[in-house]
Amino acid sequence: MFSALLAAALVATAAPALAQPGTVAQAAEPNQVQGLTVTQGDGFATLAWTRVEGASDYQIERTALAADGTPGTPVVVGVWRPNRQVNNTEPTFADAGFAPGGRFQWRVRARFGTTEQPYSTPVDGTTRSHWGDPGTPGENLRTQWEQTLGAQYTSDVNEYAYTAAIDEASDRVRVVEIGRTVQERPINMLVIGYPKPPATPEAVAATNPLMVNCNVHGNEPGDREACLIMARQLAFTKDSQTLGLLGKTTVLIVPTINGDGRAANTRGNSTGQDLNRDHSLIRQPETRALAEMVRDYRPIAGYDGHEYGNTNTGDLPMLPPRHQNVAQGIFDQSQDMIEGHMYGRGAEDGWWACPYGCTPGANVGLSEETILRNTLGLKNVVNSLLELRSSGGPTRPDEGNTANNRRRKTYSALWTFTEFFKYHGANVKDITRVRDEGVTSQSANDGRIVFRGSRKIEAYPAPHPGEAPPPVDAPTPDRILEQAPCAYRLTEEQYHGERTDGPAGKRTTVAQRIAAHGWKVVKVADGYLVPLAQPQRGLIPLLLDGQAVEGLVAGERIAPTLTGTHNGPLTVSGVACLDGATVRGPIQVRSGAALIVTGSSINGPVNAADAAGLFVTDSRVSGPVHATGTRGPVVLVGNELSGPVGVSGGKATAPLLAGNTVAGPLTCSGNAPAPTNLEVANTVRGPKTGQCAQL
Amino acid sequence: MPDTLVPGPRPGPASRAARRRRAATGAALALLLAVTGCGGPAEEERAGAQPTGSAAPGAVAGPLCDALPSGAEPGSPASLVGRPPAEALAWIPVLTMFEAAVRATGMAEELAAAGGLTILAPTDDAFRATFSTANLDRLLLSDTETLRRLLREHLVDGARSAAELVAAGSVTTRAGTTLTVTAAGSGARLADKAVTVCADYRAAGARVHVIDKVLGDLPHTADEEDQHH
Ligand SMILES: [Zn+2]
Repeated sequence: MFSALLAAALVATAAPALAQPGTVAQAAEPNQVQGLTVTQGDGFATLAWTRVEGASDYQIERTALAADGTPGTPVVVGVWRPNRQVNNTEPTFADAGFAPGGRFQWRVRARFGTTEQPYSTPVDGTTRSHWGDPGTPGENLRTQWEQTLGAQYTSDVNEYAYTAAIDEASDRVRVVEIGRTVQERPINMLVIGYPKPPATPEAVAATNPLMVNCNVHGNEPGDREACLIMARQLAFTKDSQTLGLLGKTTVLIVPTINGDGRAANTRGNSTGQDLNRDHSLIRQPETRALAEMVRDYRPIAGYDGHEYGNTNTGDLPMLPPRHQNVAQGIFDQSQDMIEGHMYGRGAEDGWWACPYGCTPGANVGLSEETILRNTLGLKNVVNSLLELRSSGGPTRPDEGNTANNRRRKTYSALWTFTEFFKYHGANVKDITRVRDEGVTSQSANDGRIVFRGSRKIEAYPAPHPGEAPPPVDAPTPDRILEQAPCAYRLTEEQYHGERTDGPAGKRTTVAQRIAAHGWKVVKVADGYLVPLAQPQRGLIPLLLDGQAVEGLVAGERIAPTLTGTHNGPLTVSGVACLDGATVRGPIQVRSGAALIVTGSSINGPVNAADAAGLFVTDSRVSGPVHATGTRGPVVLVGNELSGPVGVSGGKATAPLLAGNTVAGPLTCSGNAPAPTNLEVANTVRGPKTGQCAQL
Repeated sequence: MPDTLVPGPRPGPASRAARRRRAATGAALALLLAVTGCGGPAEEERAGAQPTGSAAPGAVAGPLCDALPSGAEPGSPASLVGRPPAEALAWIPVLTMFEAAVRATGMAEELAAAGGLTILAPTDDAFRATFSTANLDRLLLSDTETLRRLLREHLVDGARSAAELVAAGSVTTRAGTTLTVTAAGSGARLADKAVTVCADYRAAGARVHVIDKVLGDLPHTADEEDQHH
């Protein structure tokens, strides 16, 4: 579809001068807009024109043309303002809201203050019909929303039928049920790849997938309709560039995690819970389904779709994961996706992408880890919030018409998700690099913990796309923990005890929720240890610390047991935690004991036989490391190891070996499940054998 | 439980044959497939965008009517004539809150009561101007008794046109409230508060008047802070 768009742009750019020879000779009136071009996109038309010196804004007029060319009543459908785009020298406006397939004529005029200047010469064009050839099976599928011209949103059963029909007609698409709502509606996901999607979640994870969460608030349905259309495009497009991208990755589209809320037209789910305040706590089956999907399919990038009520904001408010526990690289890359890509591409295509919370005094877009944007960031996923401005507002004065309003929102979301796919394809190396850094830096458990508080987002250099940057939202002192613990210890009751939060009959234990996030837990004699030396370190205290703002349970903070130098052999029984330590001598971890090592230097072999768990991150080990028959997790992340390294006979949980440099051999055998690296490769100079041959 | 799919509206004149073909296939899949044959969706949509004049049996009046489906478009007044009231509501795009409230309270049958009914249906904007999102969620999900009373503040026995309401001077709602009715342009003003913004949709045994304010006396909560995002 990208090359098709490009071709259309070239034609349209050349068209006006050729199409209207009579007007070429006419002298331009003073301050008359010149050089108007109209380029058709999916559900929108990009108008571009030459800037008029001194203009304070521009009005965009659209007139429907009947089949015989008779014009209807002209309507001012848009107002271009300087805060609309980051590049004011080449003004553009994405006109949208019209029913696809209609023929129109457009004109643009400048205003100086409130004084209107002459209109440009008109340019006419036929807008694109609903995507897909009506005569080609599969392509001719339409959603209820398309079929009713926006009068109705796509119902739950229509979504199921439509997505099943796409699955049936396209090898590229597999619809999987990732969970059920409180009222037992299926929560489906479209898994899309070319020529077909990988068969298992593990195989999908290996393709650097991207995800779109389309509808968490049931009364904000605009993004969901875009997702359903995009799924059809990806399933049936013949565009070689799109297929090229789709051949290298997997697109994960979750149309409706809140099917109950969508059916009831409520923000919350059927219990009234706002699901976008539940992505860390996962009290609800809907959020748990999404958390398990993220754990199993491991998207590296995401978008989360919403609608927003402020009429004065841009078309497309966006925001990165801002929580200060999110790895810097994940934040930076998310910002690059928004400011580096969406703002620039928005300026080209005429959509007004802007920072969420961009009106002065706004108090939205903060650091709650319960919000998917932040939760995903804490899970090392580059991502953004997307809002669709609910009403037309002053810049789209023709949206009192509900269908116009709904179409503008949905096609602006379709534009965004399509651009997201392109950004992902063009930046997959950078995205995976920051993911790798996120996994290793979080596993290092280094630096302070912030319970709530955001990274600052500077105002975009003028002309900035909005009125103001998002609120600062810095952490207050009582929300900062300078010395991170080594781990949290939960009692049996805390870990497995019955909970009262969540809907009756669907309640889950802390153990189940921790498992849904995919955290590593060590069973010890007096409870359960959750070490911070793992990839979602920034999220763990937000749920398990007594100081957390919306915690799950107040676990006991376990402080490091050794931070200095130890000369001679070290034998570990019970739980030992080495942080920034130097050990000169062999370490022996006894049966049933747990060792957690972060930021340390060990000169001597490390041997763990029948241990409860072994965590070594951000450390240097001169000497062999052997974990044999470990009953719980083995986590080796971001280390420099002389080797040899051997992990064998592990039980219950997959050993994690990621981002290590191993000078010698790496051997794994007899672990069930087999070791993983979460796609973060190890550098092994010696031979890699057995279950670790691919790590 | 999934809700049932509302079937397509009755055809407008421009695409009657096409829509009859679609209706004949029945079931949810019918809505999926683009109309094929000589037309194709683009042609159908363009035809739909053109008003077909006032000959339609469903003449509606009010300032909002121009912004709602008309002519041969799905959800046009003509297409809703004779549809069960609860179904007609699902086709008027500014009534998503009211329509959801009818389903939440299980009042579809009450709307189709013998003897006819006048439905004064507030727009989504009216609901949002009255209630916070949290309050709406509460009404729709847990406080359905209150919601049912609220809906009955908007129901009047007998299918009456706006002109008949004005002529009556006052009406009593099914909640027992008496509303004074005065003329407001071509429509009606109710209880000195709400006006009809698109009056006189004809459903089966019912008149639907879209109004711009929520009636009844529930506390105004729209100013309470709502969460976004
Ligand atoms: Zn939302």
